[in-house]
Amino acid sequence: MNISQIKIKNFKCFKGEFSLKLNKGLNILVGDNETGKSTILEAIHLALSGLLNGRYLKIELSQYLFNNDVRNEYLENFKEISESETVPLPPEILIEIFIDDIEDETLKALFEGNGNSTKQKACGIQFKIALNETHQAYYEELVKCGDVQSIPIEYYDFSWSSFARDERVTPKIIPIKSALIDSSSNRYHNGSDIYISRILKDHLEDSDKIKIEQAYRKMRDAFMNDSSIKDVNVLIKDAINISNKKVELSVDLSSKNAWETTLTTYLDDVPFHHVGKGEQCIVKTKLALSHKQAQRKNVLLLEEPENHLSHTKLNELIKHIQETNEEKQVIISTHSSFVANKLGLGSLILLNVDSTTNQRTEIRFDDLKPDTKNYFAKLSGYDTLRLILCKKVILVEGDSDELIIQMAYKKSNEDRLPIHDQIDVISVGTAFLRFLEIAEKINKPVAVVTDNDGDVNLIKEKYKNYLGDNKKDFIEICFDETEDTGDLKIGKNEKPFNYNTLEPKILKSNDLEKLNMILGTTYANEDELHKYMRSNKTDCALKIFDTKENVSFPQYILNAIQ
Amino acid sequence: MSTNKLIIAAAGSGKTTHLVKEALAIKKDSVLITTFTEVNEKEIRKKIIEIKKYIPKNITIQTWFSFLLQHGVRPYQGIMHDKLFVKKIGFYLVEGKSGLRGKNSRGIPIYWGESDFKQFYFTKNYKIYSDKISKFVFECNKKSNNEIINRLSKIYHHIFIDEIQDLAGWDLELLKLLFNSESHIQMVGDPRQATYSTNDSAKYKQYKNGKIQGFIDKKCKKDICKIDITSLSKSHRNNQKICSFSSNLYTEHPNCESCECKKCRENISEHEGIFLIKSDDIENYCKKYETVTKLHYQKAKSPDLNYGASKGLSFDRVLIYPTDKIKKYIKDGNLTGIETVKAKFYVAVTRARYSVGIIYDYNDNDTYIEGVEKYILEGE
Repeated sequence: MNISQIKIKNFKCFKGEFSLKLNKGLNILVGDNETGKSTILEAIHLALSGLLNGRYLKIELSQYLFNNDVRNEYLENFKEISESETVPLPPEILIEIFIDDIEDETLKALFEGNGNSTKQKACGIQFKIALNETHQAYYEELVKCGDVQSIPIEYYDFSWSSFARDERVTPKIIPIKSALIDSSSNRYHNGSDIYISRILKDHLEDSDKIKIEQAYRKMRDAFMNDSSIKDVNVLIKDAINISNKKVELSVDLSSKNAWETTLTTYLDDVPFHHVGKGEQCIVKTKLALSHKQAQRKNVLLLEEPENHLSHTKLNELIKHIQETNEEKQVIISTHSSFVANKLGLGSLILLNVDSTTNQRTEIRFDDLKPDTKNYFAKLSGYDTLRLILCKKVILVEGDSDELIIQMAYKKSNEDRLPIHDQIDVISVGTAFLRFLEIAEKINKPVAVVTDNDGDVNLIKEKYKNYLGDNKKDFIEICFDETEDTGDLKIGKNEKPFNYNTLEPKILKSNDLEKLNMILGTTYANEDELHKYMRSNKTDCALKIFDTKENVSFPQYILNAIQ
Repeated sequence: MSTNKLIIAAAGSGKTTHLVKEALAIKKDSVLITTFTEVNEKEIRKKIIEIKKYIPKNITIQTWFSFLLQHGVRPYQGIMHDKLFVKKIGFYLVEGKSGLRGKNSRGIPIYWGESDFKQFYFTKNYKIYSDKISKFVFECNKKSNNEIINRLSKIYHHIFIDEIQDLAGWDLELLKLLFNSESHIQMVGDPRQATYSTNDSAKYKQYKNGKIQGFIDKKCKKDICKIDITSLSKSHRNNQKICSFSSNLYTEHPNCESCECKKCRENISEHEGIFLIKSDDIENYCKKYETVTKLHYQKAKSPDLNYGASKGLSFDRVLIYPTDKIKKYIKDGNLTGIETVKAKFYVAVTRARYSVGIIYDYNDNDTYIEGVEKYILEGE
């Protein structure tokens, strides 16, 4: 049993409808801040458990759960309301969970129907936060008064229904359970940890739970029958005259699950919430992964596991997830390229917000060309995440190019390095086109800095999808339009020197004297300097990077850093 | 070989008990027990709790309408009309025909037709009319390519229907679909007790009023449903005198026999049979026989009951306030005159273990139909 798809509408950062398909086993959500990674985990957990921020939604229900734009657009309605106009529809939050592969046919059929936004037969549940119909009259009255400053959340309610439109669905009978493990947050420090007890409780059979309940009851009875308590209660009865009813001390058994809130989990004699956050995260994850009751399988939601975990602990956690993820659906949000890389790029789901349209998109490696996918799968994974997570990218060929670009940027941007402006410079070797394929998918502003290698037409042919009529607004291909030539020959085979790489171009835009000074060399002619720079690329680049001199850069480089 | 079964039961033969026991015998598979009236639904619940102390996890008890709404209408309602995808369909119980459009110049009511989809099936607030709900389910199932029945048969491996004689019209069409599904359908009913009907539709009118057996014989595939007329033909409640008297009301059905086993007949009363009681003697009669329950055709005040409402219940003795038609029957024994009240009268008579009193100011010299005795107050 697993979640095949989630649809989110108007919840937090999701304006309008957002839909995300999920893999059966592992899903790694990556993306910049504000792309909605955590909100997706939150939404899944809310729809499956009714819990938000570790507390029941009843307590947490507020207008801030609604998307800001949606809220504003709704409130906009009231600014110019005329008598005849109909009452504007109050916004609603909808989360749909599509469930796949339920083995039990009866259970599957129970949740099956066309009561979902796809209007097709599917199996799953809908969770809705909407105006309670019974409060419609109050709402209309409120609107008539015209004083609507916020979403009238007091008339709102939340409810579940199956895709068969059965409205008696509660988290208890939803066949798929979620465990959200959020180590990044300290918002749960007050009160006992609802997660740990929930996860533990899911481990227990009904008969075990009944035994605990009875033991708890016995404990209460024993407490009440203890002679000192009896004495105290007599005292209270006589001394405190607050009511003509009997006043006494007792243990609270009134709430439905008294034992869950009172009992605490211990690790090596230490109460769970006093154990280190990292250890907590690992224990919770392991517990959730080792779920006993096969019928009620968990979806494990892991939020940024890299927080609070040392490298070794993280490694341990990841190993554990890898070992069990075949039967379990795991959804992880992460900023860590280590996590993403370790767990496999095949499970990566890249979330991206298009800066122009504000639309959220998802990119998967499944969508890429097979050879590109293969290339990135073999790559460290690190660079891919860099491309995705930064605001803008400059792609260069090698390390020396990278340094030069950094320097050039620093010089024309008041000493700030590109990374300070969330611009990443990535040396990609010869894989420019593969990176561009991803950049194109996510509308990422990219500048490519490439040598013309003495054949401008060849370069134009290579990048024909990004030049001329095919020019994309956000992709800039930068190279020198001039093909420089010379007589210099290199090495035993007398290979002609390539005048069209970065170093000769820098020499060209400065002069021999200046470069000798920057590099601390004393070459008499340009050819000698060419040879030196060719064989000491990185050294030269470092020197240029560190120099106080006023270096001039070729125009195509300046174009790129624009 | 078919696994569907209809048991034709006699009044007092313990048909609900039988049904409940059959259902409880199923340990693993999921079971639905359904019936038309809420009273009987409660009775079924009560019986299960009496036997088991709790309702087992695999058993669901639901009235027929509530079942149709949840599993028939809602799962695929959107297929019937695009507007219905997001509407919450409610339920509206009607007596007689729903969807009144207005009256014509001669004052004859005109009804919405099927082409006016919304008005035909629903009230203004999208409550579905009870007389059209089974038609809606049938049409929706057809349009969805049998999805509704497929889904249902996966949810309930066994479907038990009590008081099957109450089903009518398009319900029967649904029954046919269920027979052909993978679920096993078991039904019990007493065709003589057809006092209610789920609807008043023109569909299959000829099989209304307890003619369910005829429907299965004539309209369903051969052998799709076994009919058992023997297992529950004996009344554990009524004594032979009451059985014979009540059987005379339905000559088309085999006579109902009283079960003569020791357990059923261990208490014998000296006052047994059908008695005509003069209205002046009511007070004395009730004093003498303390356990008399009074039954009225309508408007009974508690603790008295209406005939219909007494269905399924057992009393030691009943005292019936007859309608004029019943009185006429007592005199002349002509069944055609009693047709419209017969089923309810039958229910009333068959409630009693020992005696049925009918209030009737008889004439000492007249003779009445077979099986009734004139009650003469002793000591006068």
